[in-house]
Amino acid sequence: MKKLPVNCPSCESPLVASQLSCSDCETVISGSYSLPILLQLSKEDQDFIFEFILTSGSLKKMAAKMEKSYPTVRNKLDDILEKINNLKTN
Amino acid sequence: MKTLFFKPFEKYSENKLLLVGSISMILGTILTYALNCRFVGVFQMVFDDITIIQSLIDSLIIMSCLTIFLFISAKIIYKKTRLIDIIVTALISFIPFYILPIFNINDTLKESTKELRKFAVPDMVVQIPLETLLPLIGFSIFGLIILIWSIALLYNGFKTAANAKGIKAIIIFGGALVLADIASRYLIHQLN
Repeated sequence: MKKLPVNCPSCESPLVASQLSCSDCETVISGSYSLPILLQLSKEDQDFIFEFILTSGSLKKMAAKMEKSYPTVRNKLDDILEKINNLKTN
Repeated sequence: MKTLFFKPFEKYSENKLLLVGSISMILGTILTYALNCRFVGVFQMVFDDITIIQSLIDSLIIMSCLTIFLFISAKIIYKKTRLIDIIVTALISFIPFYILPIFNINDTLKESTKELRKFAVPDMVVQIPLETLLPLIGFSIFGLIILIWSIALLYNGFKTAANAKGIKAIIIFGGALVLADIASRYLIHQLN
């Protein structure tokens, strides 16, 4: 799966979606749409959140599934929350 | 291997770590007693003839001091720190120290230390026999490696339990260790 770039490779500013197209009828919409916060996270963080939802938010289940200890998983979640808060304030 | 020996707290559940740590503490206490050694602080071992009960009380005082001071420090850094994560940090990080009494099989080090005291006069220092000095030098070098390993385990356990980052966390951790060492020395001296 291709990785969605979220920052400009030249100046590192956040990228925006400027074109959306329908793969069926080929309709193209142009504009300037900022990416949702979750999409601005790294692939690893997105996967973590996806797993978090799949385990109904149980960190203990996640820890068992990921073969990590509970505090390691909890720390990861806290780090992601911090990143989300930073993205919200920027 | 690196995870197992230095960062077990990142991978293994608290139940597994608690089991391994508790068994190690009991076996280590018996070994320490059987080989005429004694931990009189977090970072100090001496050669002494004590009872198994005294040896057990020493271990409990050291574990309690480590747990209390590290837990308070961890709570300052991170409010969600769990007590169980600090308890397993204290138990697991002390395992390397239980290797040290093995050096005193047949009272080798105790006798070397006694022998060395005879030369504790300025003119006689150069006359210390090599066979007296070598076991102590070997023990000192190995002891230093064990100390570094144990502190690395303690810090990694503390870091995981308290989601600790940065220089502030290292300073708080260092302070907690010093206080735990002082408190354990004082309590062992007073109570045991």
